[in-house]
Amino acid sequence: MVQVLVVAHGGTAHQNKHGTMRLRRILSLGGASILVLIVFTMDVIQKNVELDISGLWVIRNLLIIGATVLVFFFFELLKPQRDQNAVKKLGLLLIASVLMLLVGLVVTFVAQDGFDSKNYSLIPLGYDTLFLASFISILFGVFAILVFRLVRDLTMYKRKKGTQRNFLIFTVLLVVTSGATIGLKPLEKEVIVSILFGLAVTFAIVNSFRLSWIVYLTKREKIFSLVYGFFLFGAFIVLNIILQTGVVNKSLLYYSYPLSEFVSLVCVFGNIYFGMAFVSTLFHLPTAEAFDRKTSEVSSLHNLSKLITQVFDFGELVDTVTTMTLQVCEAKSCWLEIIHPPEEIHRQADLPGSSHVIAGQYHIQLVGMKNITRAEVDALLPAGEHTVRDEVLQERRPIVVDDVYHDKRFKREKKEKVSIGSLVVVPLVSHSGLVGILYATKDTDHSFFQDDVDVISAFADQATIAIENSRLIKTSLERERLTREMMLAQDMQKRLLPQSLPQYLTLQIDAISTPAFEVGGDYYDFVRLDERRLGIIVGDVSGKGVSAAFYMSEVKGIFQALSRMYPSPKEFMMKAHEALSSSIDKRSFISIIYAVLDTTTGELMLSRAGHCPMLLVSDNHIGYIRPAGMGLGLSNGEVFSQSIEEHTVQLRPGDICMFYTDGVTEARRGEDEFGYERLLDATVAVRKKHASEIKHEVLESVRTFTEHQANHDDLTLVVLKWCGKGQEN
Amino acid sequence: MSEFKIAQRETNNVSVLELKGYLDAHTAPKLEEAFTQLLTSQRYRIVVNCKDLSYISSAGLGVFMAYIEDVRKNAGDIKLTNMSPKVYNVFDLLGFPLLYEIFKDEGEAVRKFFEKGR
Repeated sequence: MVQVLVVAHGGTAHQNKHGTMRLRRILSLGGASILVLIVFTMDVIQKNVELDISGLWVIRNLLIIGATVLVFFFFELLKPQRDQNAVKKLGLLLIASVLMLLVGLVVTFVAQDGFDSKNYSLIPLGYDTLFLASFISILFGVFAILVFRLVRDLTMYKRKKGTQRNFLIFTVLLVVTSGATIGLKPLEKEVIVSILFGLAVTFAIVNSFRLSWIVYLTKREKIFSLVYGFFLFGAFIVLNIILQTGVVNKSLLYYSYPLSEFVSLVCVFGNIYFGMAFVSTLFHLPTAEAFDRKTSEVSSLHNLSKLITQVFDFGELVDTVTTMTLQVCEAKSCWLEIIHPPEEIHRQADLPGSSHVIAGQYHIQLVGMKNITRAEVDALLPAGEHTVRDEVLQERRPIVVDDVYHDKRFKREKKEKVSIGSLVVVPLVSHSGLVGILYATKDTDHSFFQDDVDVISAFADQATIAIENSRLIKTSLERERLTREMMLAQDMQKRLLPQSLPQYLTLQIDAISTPAFEVGGDYYDFVRLDERRLGIIVGDVSGKGVSAAFYMSEVKGIFQALSRMYPSPKEFMMKAHEALSSSIDKRSFISIIYAVLDTTTGELMLSRAGHCPMLLVSDNHIGYIRPAGMGLGLSNGEVFSQSIEEHTVQLRPGDICMFYTDGVTEARRGEDEFGYERLLDATVAVRKKHASEIKHEVLESVRTFTEHQANHDDLTLVVLKWCGKGQEN
Repeated sequence: MSEFKIAQRETNNVSVLELKGYLDAHTAPKLEEAFTQLLTSQRYRIVVNCKDLSYISSAGLGVFMAYIEDVRKNAGDIKLTNMSPKVYNVFDLLGFPLLYEIFKDEGEAVRKFFEKGR
């Protein structure tokens, strides 16, 4: 007894977390030990001295009941640390039961019946019998408490209102039955006690129908529970027999009638309960697999719905979808194909390991697979042939192939490479169309049933949403990136244009350039070639956007470098062509108009390379000056050089030169274009004004013409007004 | 804004593309596609009839530049015909008449192929 105590203390010592809990445990266990020791002392004294106090039995029983209650609370206080599942508890209890059984059997068959019965009382003949009786009683008492607690926990699993009530009634009956024997001598029988016992057993049976914990066990656990239940049932039958007969029975009755009653009742309850558990598990076993699957389906679907928000990594998403497909239908292998919208093809092509199959108008890409290789998929569903894939694409509903080996849709020599019995093909259909196709296979034929198909379909719906979301996010990220790129190019382009206009006493200059979209292809610039001469350039790069900005920067570099080296416009054009033609894309070209003005004499030299002609508004000439010349980047150097002409104009005070891009002449209103005549008229109408005003008025004419709609093309205007010597601006 | 259309037909082993509407950066891919198809089926004698072409932008002009090299390498040519003055002006400004044969009439262009052939 003392040894048991020490062990129990050792057990509690290292578990302590809270001081008060520890104190309570020590108090309860210590209290119980003291009570047991008192009882033992009483027994020893009684052995030597014949005490005939009538109330002594009652006091003794009260002490033992107190000890039992204290031990019960001691275990209750241990509860928070022990959170094992039901099956594990059953296993532990089985071990305890077997130990108890062994002890019981040994005692029953080996120990001598050392009791003398007299006047319904049992009197131990020797100290050994006294010791043994105490030991067995304490052991069975503790065991009964453990059984009671376990059965209580199992019964209360997923409890309902009635459950708690029924168990409470049983507990009350248990206590009352035990308590009713408090004044009885060990061999006395009382009818009321028997009735109470019977009632308690009835409620034990009622409580034994509470077995809902079995339902939630996995198949594996159910098998364990079945085995445990069987052996527990058997062990308890023997235990109950032992408890009702022989030395054990007498020892318990001698030690304490109420304790004996408590142990008996609890063991009967245990016997019924574990018997019921065994039978119930047996009935649950055939559906265990289905239950397991439903559980994993539910958890997989739940996981996938969580995944819908985690769509930044497409590869991860694909991996999850395929892994979960294997889980939900217990497939052997599975793979996922994504259908790309036609406009997305070029962007997706650089996905790692991409292989595209084109079926009808669909571009299909195998993105993820589990337990199957790309080659095997290709062998099963060869590209360019009519396969179940095409069938699914057409019908947009799941297709089950029950027997791949004998199915006509699969060619014999090809399917032999892949050991696939049955196949299910599910299309991923979103509101905007087909998103992908999910395939799952099993080894054996005829293995996919309707509920498998239902589950995969439900799963496919979730996957569709996830993939769609992933795509949407990708698109919006891409758009954001493009916008940023455009803004960068726009910024760069702004810096390519001159930040200030050159200032001359003899000259008025103003210029404007407005891109149609974020980035345009228009360019204008000025360079002081020397202290007298000014270079003026206006250009237009074919195409728009970033590539146009790139060419523009090249033109600017060439202009800034070459204009000073080759003062003749024609020569400049030839060298510029030479420099540009190597780097320019064959479907792009650049048109330039380049003029060199002597700011002291008013002599203007002009060359044109495919660009709009210069408008000259002069006293003796109003019209366009159009020296021949083809665009840069259109042909080889020789043809280009031969095409370029140079034209010289002598400006007089008040003359206006206007350089512009086709955005001006091609500004549209419906089918109508602003055109050369309107440009000329608009300029002539304001020819007396300052260059800045002319620029403003002409621009206003264009805008009025287009009814202030957003310009379709880039628009650039450079106005030069010659004032001549001695004239102030 | 009116759209852009291409009609293709064959006359005397010469492929004729009839362009209609606006040829700009948005519609240029259509013309590219037509040229690519002709080149893949090894038809290098091409006449582009611009009778109903109402507008051409620099991107549209770029399409012709992209294919002329390949066509001429294979002893073929792209000839342009029936341009409205406005469209001709765009070609002319850039110096296209130096690079392409431009005819008033489609028949003339087709005949030109046979003169060369003989």
